[in-house]
Amino acid sequence: MLVLVTPTIVLLLMTYALAVDIQHVPIALVDYDQSATSRKFIQQITAGDDLDLFVNTRSIEEIEELLTRGKIKAAIIIGPSFSEDLLALRGLSLQIIIDGTEPETGGFAVDHIGWRAESFANDILADQILTSGIPLGSLQPIDLRIRSWYNPSLEPRVDLLPGLLSIVLGFPAFSVALTLAREHEHRTMEQLLATPITRIELLLGKIIPYILAGLVNVIVIPLIALAWFNVPFNGNFLEFLLLSVIFLFAELSMGMIIGVFMKSQSAALALSFLVVLFPGFFLTGIFFPIAALPEMARMESLFLPGTHYAIITRGVFLTGIGLDVLWPYAIMLIFLGLAFTGIAALFFKKKLA
Amino acid sequence: MIRRILALVKKEFLHLKGDWWLPAFMLFGGALELLAIGWATSRPITNLPMMIWDMDRTVASRNLVISLENTGVFTMTEPADSMAIIVDQMDRGKINAAVLIPHGFSQELESLGGEPVLQVILNGAESIPAREALRAVEGVVRSLDEKITIDHLGIDSEIFKGFDFSLRVWFNEALNDAFYTTPAELALMLEFTILLFAALTFSREKEFGTLEQLLVMPFSSLEIIIGKSIPVIMVGLIDFTLMLSLNSFAFHIPIRGSVLLLFTLAFMYILVELGKGMAISVFSKSQHQAFLLVFMVGMIDFLFTGYAAPVESMPKVIQYVSYLIPAHHWLNIMRGITLKGSTILDIMPSILYLLVLGGIIGFFSMRYIRKALD
Repeated sequence: MLVLVTPTIVLLLMTYALAVDIQHVPIALVDYDQSATSRKFIQQITAGDDLDLFVNTRSIEEIEELLTRGKIKAAIIIGPSFSEDLLALRGLSLQIIIDGTEPETGGFAVDHIGWRAESFANDILADQILTSGIPLGSLQPIDLRIRSWYNPSLEPRVDLLPGLLSIVLGFPAFSVALTLAREHEHRTMEQLLATPITRIELLLGKIIPYILAGLVNVIVIPLIALAWFNVPFNGNFLEFLLLSVIFLFAELSMGMIIGVFMKSQSAALALSFLVVLFPGFFLTGIFFPIAALPEMARMESLFLPGTHYAIITRGVFLTGIGLDVLWPYAIMLIFLGLAFTGIAALFFKKKLA
Repeated sequence: MIRRILALVKKEFLHLKGDWWLPAFMLFGGALELLAIGWATSRPITNLPMMIWDMDRTVASRNLVISLENTGVFTMTEPADSMAIIVDQMDRGKINAAVLIPHGFSQELESLGGEPVLQVILNGAESIPAREALRAVEGVVRSLDEKITIDHLGIDSEIFKGFDFSLRVWFNEALNDAFYTTPAELALMLEFTILLFAALTFSREKEFGTLEQLLVMPFSSLEIIIGKSIPVIMVGLIDFTLMLSLNSFAFHIPIRGSVLLLFTLAFMYILVELGKGMAISVFSKSQHQAFLLVFMVGMIDFLFTGYAAPVESMPKVIQYVSYLIPAHHWLNIMRGITLKGSTILDIMPSILYLLVLGGIIGFFSMRYIRKALD
């Protein structure tokens, strides 16, 4: 039962929690200028939902304390010559401090404060140009037309959900490793082998139930994605099912190798975490793009079935491509699956001989 | 009593002797993994493949491409000469972004009141690199905008340096990504190690039917619990020490606060997780079930370490749940002490939450375990 429901439950929770929209970042302000211009600027900064003014203070010490205690994520210091510099077009006397322990939120604050500051300065510049009579179309002449394909609003959950599928479908691999290790631990492997089934049959017999358990999730998850999270499913479902079976075969073969080598269930699980779960999280391009990994880690990622499956799921869910484009990844997965099964069978024989 | 407990501790270690894989993973697995993953992922996002379709082919358009390259975020692929190529490469997921520079771009750029257009296509199927690419492109375009405006206005660029603000990053001056990611990775590995080991304690005895033997021996249930806890605590502390040293020496993450305070609280945190693991252990009928539960609990806890998304930005419901997650408070404590040099007063709220949670978890798991043992 646990095997059946774990992938879907964890996927739902993860998508729900990880697909966040940063908003209401608490900031503090110090206004050394205290002019009409600076007050107008402060109004503009805090006009939206993105930044919340936590405190408007005159003491740097207070800011220091608030940052240390994590009460604010960023602070803006308006210099004493802020309005003077701005009106004389000498520049922007403004300092932004961010909490570097949370780069995500800090970067967000910098971007948003920066945009507001820029448009504020541009308005002043435009006023000056108007009075001086220079003909100028716009202060931001380049018309940047941005379009995001497959996920127009760049919502993280739209691509995280298909990406995380490769992680949660790896869970049955732990079960494969555990059941094989259990036979070693309870010394029942010998009894099994005394029966007239071959070793390959035994190994396949161990993974097929878990492939089926995984497939139930493969069917349920797209339905939830569509109905609950509004994630599109643009590809062909049958092709997706086929590709998922291939992935499960490759991924569960990894569990098989672990189960063959480890003599206790606890060791099997520990090793599964180390070689299946953690690399699956960090090295398959779901959170951190593969292109940005160092060379060696990129090579390793090729041997992780999750890397190929993450490309497949995003392709099928979002891009809407099918086997005609995805076949190289399918072949890679079949190759990995066969290689892993081969290694497991080989060492299985040796160990028992 | 102490001698009886020591005998139990010895027995626990005897289990480990037969299978040297487990202690090896317990002690060094987490540290090695932290080293490998920290090394691979604690770096800025770079090398994103980008495709350019330059229909303008002028000095200005080439300069734009060079500026994009200079951001360090992109690796340029073979330039495109048709939309079909861009569509194909996007569909295959081979590129994260494409920039189209239309005919007459430089002409529009140079003429007063001209309207140069740039088209950017992002691959939304990978939203994290897409956002990064967008940020880089916008930065390049903004500085180009500013330059044009200044040129048009004839302002002396010596006097007007543009509307730039000065930025200071506290606690992490060089904006090193490792500062943020490795503490979360450390917490994840530490939690899994403790939970796994703690979950093993009773489920293994149950599965092998040796729990009854243990119960007929002259141990009180409290002695059994303590005897089973000591090895887990030892492993947890050793693991923590190893990983913390790695953080300092391999990733240069400072410990700006009190090391003693950090270890005291680490000890407390290990006790809380131990309580959770042991409760799972008595609750489960087999090791398999216990391990799957450990795994589910660990994955859920990982969401609240702030690794992939800041907890403050999560949906309100999830934020309330985060108060119930020991790992969430532990990360606040660890980030506070190591990166911010927080004193005990700065992180008092997190310590109190952890204490209360520890009390509740400890109380219930003790009661539950003793009931199961008696």
